[in-house]
Amino acid sequence: MQLTSSPLPASTGPALKARTFECMGTVIGLTLPVGDPAEGQPGPDELTAATAVVERLFRDLDETFSLYRPGSEASRLARGEMTLPHASVQMREAYAEAHEWRLLTEGAFTPERPDGVLDLSGIIKGHAIREAGVSLLALGRRDWCLNAGGDVLVSGSPRPGSTEPWKAGVVDPADRRTLITGFALGGTNRHHAIATSGSAERGEHIWWVGSGARDAGFVQVTVAAADIVTADVLATAIVAGGTRMLDRAAEEWDVAVLAIDADGSMLATPAFQPVRGA
Amino acid sequence: MKIRGTVAAALASAGILLAGWQTGTQAGGISTVASNTTAAGAPGATGTGTSGSAGSAGSSSSSGTTGSSGSAGSGPSSSSNASGTYKGTTVQTRFGPVQVQITVANGKITDVTALQLTNTDGKSIQISNRAAPLLKSKVLAAQSANVQTVSGATITSDAYLTSLQAAIDAANL
Repeated sequence: MQLTSSPLPASTGPALKARTFECMGTVIGLTLPVGDPAEGQPGPDELTAATAVVERLFRDLDETFSLYRPGSEASRLARGEMTLPHASVQMREAYAEAHEWRLLTEGAFTPERPDGVLDLSGIIKGHAIREAGVSLLALGRRDWCLNAGGDVLVSGSPRPGSTEPWKAGVVDPADRRTLITGFALGGTNRHHAIATSGSAERGEHIWWVGSGARDAGFVQVTVAAADIVTADVLATAIVAGGTRMLDRAAEEWDVAVLAIDADGSMLATPAFQPVRGA
Repeated sequence: MKIRGTVAAALASAGILLAGWQTGTQAGGISTVASNTTAAGAPGATGTGTSGSAGSAGSSSSSGTTGSSGSAGSGPSSSSNASGTYKGTTVQTRFGPVQVQITVANGKITDVTALQLTNTDGKSIQISNRAAPLLKSKVLAAQSANVQTVSGATITSDAYLTSLQAAIDAANL
């Protein structure tokens, strides 16, 4: 199986190293080119430290926003023990951002479940990835790939100092052990984030919009964008909003979209179409 | 000179259109379009304009200078009777070579069309960001090898164990 990039010779430069941890019900992985600290490359200790920072950030957000933790602020809001005006600044900001996306997507993305319970899980993972990215840059890490349960944000290159992009594969919803295509992130591509949503996630945070039953037929939608929240939210919105939301997203945002229908047929914006010579 | 001014202005406008279109859809690629506009062609006849040097896709070292090309249109074009069609230079874009043709009637641009929109296979391709059907056979294998990360619908911690991402992470541990 050729799943990874061809390993770099150990003596001639950094090799990709990954660390993972569990949070928010999924697995988060940080991958860095690790080399010789004497040559200015981050070593294994730097990877461990960077992972610890990312993990702390995810855990703090999960403490606040998880609906699976009875004592979380989100759970207290859901039970009506607290109202939004009395919630933390962090909670109110997340709600405001989610609500703004609801307006921008004409309701295809919404922070409220059909039963009226506030559920910000559709935006919190993207928010956590975004914040983690800021922290990694603040730590001085220039080249990294952060994958949180299939949503990806990258910086720099897997080959430090080069313009080589990170290459992300997109899972085939019909067979999750295979990839349906690949997409270059970072490098000379302005898109640094890619997120995928599937209709199997509906129970969590995707609800059909309106009555357009026929239209809402995508089983999986992948969106690449400059930032992870945009990619994540629009992927969710397009699964819920169907081709109409797909056309709107492609028109109004600087995104690349790959949408897969229940029958396996695909719609793709130009960036996902095969390139010359490929 | 009026003709020349009109054509220059028109081509510059086309350049701006093209540049605007590109900035909307392409990675900081095109840096200069039609910054040195001149026009060749007999007055009143169909001519060919040369819209300066076209930036090649991928070179993003300098910021766009298309603003300056707009000033080429400051000539007294209002009284001109220039008519005809004029072609701009071919510009390399992510979608392949693109060439813009403008139609001028009585000194006014009446139409802007993209002439060359083909990939190397000779097939015409779309330039908007609209989604189009994609055949699985076209992308499979070709682009899916050698990835460093995997994007998919959120998987549970349990499902992760048997995922492609887990295999990649394990290989990099």
